[in-house]
Amino acid sequence: MQLIENLKIEEKVYKEKLDNGMTVMIIPRENTQKKYIIWGTHYGSNESKFIVPGEEAVTEVPKGVAHFLEHKMFEQANGTNSLDVLTALGVEANAYTTNDHTAYLYECTDKFYEALDEFMDYVQHPYFTDQNVEKEKGIIGQEIMMYDDYPEWKVYLNTLEAMYHKHPVKLDITGTIETISHIDKDILYKCYNTFYNPSNMALVVCGDFKPEEILEEIKKRLVPKNSAGEIKRLYPEEPANVVKNYVEQKMEVSMPLFTIGIKDVPSEEKVKKHIAIEILLNIILGRSSKLYKDLYNKGIILSQPSLEYEFTEGYAHILITGQATDPNVVFEGFKSEIASLKQNGLDEDEWSRIRKMIYGGYVKEYNDVAETARMFLADFFKGINSFDYIDEIESVKSEYGLQVLKETFKEENMVLSVVKKA
Amino acid sequence: MKTQEIKQGIKLHTINTNRFKTNLVAVFLSIPITRENVTFNSVISSVLRRGSKNMPTQEQISKELESMYGASFDCGIDKTGDNHILKFYLESINDRFLPQDSENMLKKTIEKLLEIVFNPLVENGSFKQEYVDQEKNNIQRRIEGKIDNKAKYAIERCTEEMYKGEAYGLYKYGYIEDLEKIDAQNLYKHYQDLIDTCKIDIFVSGKIDEEISNLLEQNENVKNLKPRIPNFVQTGNIEKQKVEEKQVSESMEVTQGKLIIGMDINVKDENQKYKISVYNTLLGGSANSKLFQEVREKASLAYSASSSFIRHKGNIIISCGIEIKNYEKALEIIRKQLEDMKQGNFTDEDLENGKKGIISAIKGIEDEQDTEITYYFGQELSQNEVSVEEYIEKISQVSREDVVNIANSVNINTIYFLKD
Repeated sequence: MQLIENLKIEEKVYKEKLDNGMTVMIIPRENTQKKYIIWGTHYGSNESKFIVPGEEAVTEVPKGVAHFLEHKMFEQANGTNSLDVLTALGVEANAYTTNDHTAYLYECTDKFYEALDEFMDYVQHPYFTDQNVEKEKGIIGQEIMMYDDYPEWKVYLNTLEAMYHKHPVKLDITGTIETISHIDKDILYKCYNTFYNPSNMALVVCGDFKPEEILEEIKKRLVPKNSAGEIKRLYPEEPANVVKNYVEQKMEVSMPLFTIGIKDVPSEEKVKKHIAIEILLNIILGRSSKLYKDLYNKGIILSQPSLEYEFTEGYAHILITGQATDPNVVFEGFKSEIASLKQNGLDEDEWSRIRKMIYGGYVKEYNDVAETARMFLADFFKGINSFDYIDEIESVKSEYGLQVLKETFKEENMVLSVVKKA
Repeated sequence: MKTQEIKQGIKLHTINTNRFKTNLVAVFLSIPITRENVTFNSVISSVLRRGSKNMPTQEQISKELESMYGASFDCGIDKTGDNHILKFYLESINDRFLPQDSENMLKKTIEKLLEIVFNPLVENGSFKQEYVDQEKNNIQRRIEGKIDNKAKYAIERCTEEMYKGEAYGLYKYGYIEDLEKIDAQNLYKHYQDLIDTCKIDIFVSGKIDEEISNLLEQNENVKNLKPRIPNFVQTGNIEKQKVEEKQVSESMEVTQGKLIIGMDINVKDENQKYKISVYNTLLGGSANSKLFQEVREKASLAYSASSSFIRHKGNIIISCGIEIKNYEKALEIIRKQLEDMKQGNFTDEDLENGKKGIISAIKGIEDEQDTEITYYFGQELSQNEVSVEEYIEKISQVSREDVVNIANSVNINTIYFLKD
């Protein structure tokens, strides 16, 4: 096992790549009662067109299969549902699907190994029937309708639709009621067999564990499977420009919601660039920024918008989301603040103060076993070791920040999405 | 946890723990909620974060916190039992994990938070006019924003229907028509009264090396606080009058209907709360519960179907997102589940598993800094101190008979439906 230690925050991770191609990461925490395990596959809503290892033909499946699979994995051939079995053990089990991965997890204080039996069993043994697939369409249909009532979800999706011409990131993770109606058990099995191969998966545990011991326990519960070849993922060619600069939807909300999106291209320097963008966004629209103060004092915004940078293979974008009486004023202010920073440069004191703040935020992510493990899994599928954020931040200088500002914060790549009352 | 009374009515609770990378300091001000004070309190909470005597602008506060490695300030308003709780938090990184040897971060964190809450910016005997005007506007938007999250709105509306004309039926952010009565002067007067009479609880959680009580006693802002007989409503036993079941429905632009059922339970003593917790878990508190299994898994009517126990008021609130046309069908299934609970139609295994789930959650409390503080604060309000171990013991003792008795004492108060 490889030991990676971070002395600054007194954390370590043991990492092992098994013979079947799966990576296991163990983050020991002696002082906690809680134990957390998360097992993910590098397969999310973006994968609807791919070539199965060993095949030549392209497989194309309806949108929403990854999420549908996540729902259906819990059902077992013996009639039980693994979510019920795990809950009955007193552990808190769940699963989720993102654009680039699907994850199964549980958190507990007791009965970790009993739960591990069930957990590793169900993720490795799918059981789909015509009947149980049909039944799930009703439940997922309600999930889709629930999201339809969330203005914050709509404003987000509309932003992606305005930015992307073809890339599947713009589609709802759940699919639509129409696309999921085409899903059947054969499609589910095909995607399962392709993407749930150990070589496409990673597992993270965090809690009071002895690394060698827990690694053995995991290994002995693995069904023997050979590492499959590479899955060829096919994404449509995505132009660099945006589809449109403005998108609006009417919904019953008290005050308009907005998202400003900036379309970007993925960079080689993932961590460094991510840090620089976080610092820049806070300089532009953070709590101590001039723009925030102006907007707040004029009553245009009531609280600080959220500032995010999302990226994975094939796409990258900035998202700024909040509520404002007039989103256009925020958008205009944002653009002119960027223009003035490009012209006048960045203030050194401000840069280092905000960088301190960002550092504190990274340290806080190690407070909770669940948050830590989820972060390691999500970063792993992006090809990142989470400790890099702690280690690299000191070296992210304002000169580099200015370069990123000029390269990424381009007006022509910005979109504004608004949800407001009719 | 260690509790000391610094002055009459003002308590310091310290939790010394090495589980976290952070120190968390919290100040809670508790006062009975009334129609007269609810809007005032709500604006006060907002005005305080705008500036203090030594950090007079929000920008200054923000810069100060940023340079403390992103110490994060948070404030909020809650209704707990018949109390209005003004909550203020400041979280900072423990010195051990900071790059350089910087100043004592915990001490600084405590001082900054106390400064924001107890030493506001005052001009000519009142709050700063500009801040008050802006925050009145802010609160107005917040009140209007009640409709934005339809699921939360539905629960809020159901609660209002259940507690019409009573303290707990008040909206925690207050009322738009009451905002116009507020000016910088009377708000400051209200603040002074609040600070002089409310119950004050200060929580400090983290790796604590020094005597926090000395630090507090020497703090100027604490020195200025008067001893008081704290004015708050002890939450505990709750007598319910049996009421006629009421159905309310409202229309709004929604894709999915939100069905909320508010139920009453008599809480005769603290012990009963453990029994109700177990009942709630079996009814709708987990993935194995009757509601999740029957409404979602078997009938495929919903994605979310659950219930929660409002322990300080003796209510269970059922909440489901369903297709609008399935209202009758969903309601019928839910009624059947309530009836089944009354008849004791659940297995001993269900009971044991439900208890395990609660116990596991309780054991995990000490792994979350804010949850641990909330746990002890809840006990502080009910004046009933229970350690995590005792809590677990009480849950394990709950019997089938206890749960059936609870089931038979539950009454539906209001069925609320939000549709299109």
